[in-house]
Amino acid sequence: MKIGKNFSVIVPGLLFAALIAGIIIYRSVSGPSTLNRYTATFLDVFDTRTEIVGFAKSKDEFAKDAQLIKDELIRYNKLYDIYNDYQGVNNIKTINDNAGIKPVKVDPDIISLIEFSIDTYYETDGAVNIALGSVLSLWHKERMIGMDEPDRAKLPDADKLKEAALHTDITNIVIDKENSTVYLADPDMSLDVGSTGKGYAVQRVLEYAREKGLNNILLSLGGNISCIGTRIDGTCFRLGIQNPDMDSEEQYVEMVDINDGECVVSSGDYQRYYYVDGVRYCHIIDPMTLYPADGFASVSVITDDSGLADSYSTALYTMTYEEGLEFVEKRDNVEAMWIMHDGTKKYSEGFIEKYVKK
Amino acid sequence: MKKNDMVLIAIILAVTAVCLLGMRIWQKNNTKGNATAVVTIDGNVYGEYPLSEDYEERIELPDGSYNVLIIKDGFAKVSEASCPDQICVHHNHVKYSGESIVCLPNKLVVTVQGGEDNGIDGSTY
Repeated sequence: MKIGKNFSVIVPGLLFAALIAGIIIYRSVSGPSTLNRYTATFLDVFDTRTEIVGFAKSKDEFAKDAQLIKDELIRYNKLYDIYNDYQGVNNIKTINDNAGIKPVKVDPDIISLIEFSIDTYYETDGAVNIALGSVLSLWHKERMIGMDEPDRAKLPDADKLKEAALHTDITNIVIDKENSTVYLADPDMSLDVGSTGKGYAVQRVLEYAREKGLNNILLSLGGNISCIGTRIDGTCFRLGIQNPDMDSEEQYVEMVDINDGECVVSSGDYQRYYYVDGVRYCHIIDPMTLYPADGFASVSVITDDSGLADSYSTALYTMTYEEGLEFVEKRDNVEAMWIMHDGTKKYSEGFIEKYVKK
Repeated sequence: MKKNDMVLIAIILAVTAVCLLGMRIWQKNNTKGNATAVVTIDGNVYGEYPLSEDYEERIELPDGSYNVLIIKDGFAKVSEASCPDQICVHHNHVKYSGESIVCLPNKLVVTVQGGEDNGIDGSTY
């Protein structure tokens, strides 16, 4: 009887222990209960929306990671700004303000962006030109007026555009690396890093975050999206490609899964534009014609460097589809998707196979 | 072991199973039905609106600028705004968890929290 009595305690005890163990195992397998997904959104850098997605044990822990990224973005924003002055900072605007006057001592991160942009200029046969500031500012001014007061919307004066185009020679950027200075030799030229600055900053900031040990991070700076690692469960980050038809029920035209270090950027005519006499003029100016490019509704590029993705998407937007396809196919690890004005989609050879998962 | 012990064990097991199942179902239903549009202005929460109820509000900012938020048929959208770029007005309506509409000039963000997930971590624009 004694043995039987013990059994009556041990058996239910064991069963109960097994039950608890089962629940613990079940919970740990059924979901990452220890790491939560967080998103941080802010609107105060690069004049756009920034989103950081990450995984952490607590909100505070994530906030620390997000702050590390944000602080770097703020630093780059100040350096690459062409519209605002910041106390104690020489930035791109300072360089522009001193065009034809004197060399400006700048942070090495400005020099590296300018060097990167000059390389891009030659690589894209001039389709991406940071020395186009004089032309872009004429368009920027009219676009701002046109958006604010549609009745006053007009195109920039054609003669003024032609005159401005005489001051866009990229070889007039004089870099002195030893003294860390930049000088614009033409007093009427100015730099506009709109086509490379954001993407380059994302690339550098993520490299910095990686060095600091951050992993499983997605960073979107105004639609320039790049990642470190994967989601916490090991699956790829999945991104939507914005539908250029903003009236559509479908917000995304395609979903793409990107791998560690890859980046997606779209260039299109659907966000920043203004109307003159019922015709839409977007913000991407073709350096060859000095007028807005209008070949596509959008072009999206995926590659493993955010700075390149940014400039390639701008460049492809000003090329024909055939030229662009040739440009993409000549390069390893670059894929692109073009959306025509009628909604038709065209892809580079590996785009669907590599990135579009069902 | 007596017969009653077995019965007790069986009952405990059954109750536990029912509890676990119940929690799962409750969790699932709760995340699906509770989609909320959270409006923030300059980072501060202005209001929360369940997507299940049709609603309209003209959100006025101290400087006179405004955005009109509409919630209809389970979607949130901005139908009108004082900003020059009108990007928020042209934005597709949102309903999935994490989707958002941003008005940069007015520093206003409409984000969907809870509700159905579209499996997307971000998007180009």
